Amino acid sequence: MYYLTNLTLKKFRNYESQYVEFNRGLNIFVGSNAQGKTNILEAIYYLSVTRSFRTRRDQELTQIGDQLFFLKGVFLKDEFYHVVQISYHRNSPLKILSNNEKVERFLHIQSFPVVVFSPDDLMIIRDSPAIRRRFLNLEISKFKGTYFQNLKEYQRVLLQRNRLLKENRYNSHLNKMLDPWNQALVSVGTKIIHDRIEMVEDLGKKAQFFFNQMYGEKANLTLNYRCSVGCFEQPDETRTKFHGALSEGRRIELKRGSTMYGPHLDDLKIAINGNNTRYYSSQGQKRAAALSLKMAEAMMLKEKTGLNPVILLDDVFSEFDRVRKEYLLLFLKENGGQCFLTSAVAIEDLLKKTEKDYKVMSVEQGRIVSETGGFSC
Amino acid sequence: MVYPGALKKLVDMFCRFPGVGPKTAQRLAFFLLGCPREEVVAIARAMVEAKDRLSFCPVCGSLAEDECPYCSDAGRDHHLLCIVQEPRDVLILERSGQYKGLYHVLHGALSPLDGIGPEELKLEQLVNRIRDTGIEEVIIATNPNVEGDATAGYLAGLLKPLAVMVSRIAFGLPVGGDIEYADDLTLSRALEGRREM
Ligand SMILES: Nc1ncnc2c1ncn2[C@@H]1O[C@H](COP(=O)(O)OP(=O)(O)OP(=O)(O)O)[C@@H](O)[C@H]1O
Ligand SMILES: [Mg+2]
Ligand SMILES: [Zn+2]
Repeated sequence: MYYLTNLTLKKFRNYESQYVEFNRGLNIFVGSNAQGKTNILEAIYYLSVTRSFRTRRDQELTQIGDQLFFLKGVFLKDEFYHVVQISYHRNSPLKILSNNEKVERFLHIQSFPVVVFSPDDLMIIRDSPAIRRRFLNLEISKFKGTYFQNLKEYQRVLLQRNRLLKENRYNSHLNKMLDPWNQALVSVGTKIIHDRIEMVEDLGKKAQFFFNQMYGEKANLTLNYRCSVGCFEQPDETRTKFHGALSEGRRIELKRGSTMYGPHLDDLKIAINGNNTRYYSSQGQKRAAALSLKMAEAMMLKEKTGLNPVILLDDVFSEFDRVRKEYLLLFLKENGGQCFLTSAVAIEDLLKKTEKDYKVMSVEQGRIVSETGGFSC
Repeated sequence: MVYPGALKKLVDMFCRFPGVGPKTAQRLAFFLLGCPREEVVAIARAMVEAKDRLSFCPVCGSLAEDECPYCSDAGRDHHLLCIVQEPRDVLILERSGQYKGLYHVLHGALSPLDGIGPEELKLEQLVNRIRDTGIEEVIIATNPNVEGDATAGYLAGLLKPLAVMVSRIAFGLPVGGDIEYADDLTLSRALEGRREM
């Protein structure tokens, strides 16, 4: 168990200077639109991951027109305090101090695991397969270093092979020329496919578990890996099928000048009661499906690190009905980790029913103007 | 900065060296200016001499001065052939002192993206060499990356009809490249290399 006890922001986004203390359980930022609720979540995320979830350009995080920002967070972990301080200046490398010792960027990332859910995550449900592949790639890379290496290699093989398919100077012995690239494509591609299948299975079980908390046992959320070469139990079978697909599809591939089979074309099917959420789900269901994926990620992180990740839920309540909101709060409470929510609407009456220990902070124009409820830590 | 003409020319020349930027080029130029004249002449002469005297062996593609130190060495095993990508790979293998056979330098690897195919690597000549000179065993030591592996695979296919033993070794470091997920690699590395606090 670990949690963030307090946070200091200086010149970060629309915060000039702010100090705030947190509850070890539930923390809620309320306020109208564009006041700085998400900005606080961003600061908390940055302290653990040393990168924003909204942008890769640190300069955006400084107050408009400024050159620097400063963040300080005090974590309590196994009864020890960890003070993390981050100073950004436009013209120098990011400076990160953990208990006054310099640390490399990204290095303490699993010391303070964190998971964020934001409205953008709906893209995973709504958008094209590329987004879902990217989601899988990222999640698997977090837990398996070789996966990323394979992915890089696969991309390179794909580029080379596609170029060969587009060229016509090898007409007579193109088959022979393609052969080594086919071998590489199949060998690396199969590894990627099976890593994904394994991940999807694990993630699916956990997402299903969370989804049931929200919608009851009758509703089913299932994840299925959709494989352009066909999914099989054994990598050997996949390899054989993959080779088969490449030789059968040679003519189409030549016509299109690109590789038509392989993990770069696969998809993750996310279905509720068998129906693809991308096409058939309501807004609330889509959101619940996306949230389930993130919560599944949190459960995986917990297995891997032995720590309850800090959970950041940006604007999570919109589109959920009252029952769903209550279930969500209950789940978060039972799950035990520290949690930060934002909401543009008042939710205190909701909280009174399920929670005793929480803190509500009102955000107005880059300042926390009032703090109520629960017990501070 | 405005250089006198001769200096500018020198700096521009150094800039053409691999891995040398304007700053380093300027340092090198000023270093030369500070040297005694005889030394500068010696350096220039060494360059020209190397260029004139060194060439690639027409048989194996290794760097050779006058005659090829490998092909002409009767003490080496002329039934054993090691195929490498670059001339410097030969030097690395030689340094290990373990290998006593002949070499064949491809001067590259198959890479459709760079327009390098079997013709560019003169693979037909390589096959002829193996068939006609009594080579019994071939070791393919192309680089352990996507292109090197593909080249090895293609070669293995070409050599199949010949009754030679073919094996594959890998040396050197894999080359990396940037793709979309570069940041996330750092992330995943960080995850892998985590420490207790
Ligand atoms: N770099 C920056 N410097 C100064 N102000 C910024 C900067 N970046 C964003 N802002 C301001 O911060 C505010 C947005 O903050 P934030 O995204 O946290 O809003 P929010 O409270 O989450 O609103 P919503 O309910 O609409 O999501 C906007 O007023 C925006 O102009
Ligand atoms: Mg917001
Ligand atoms: Zn030679």
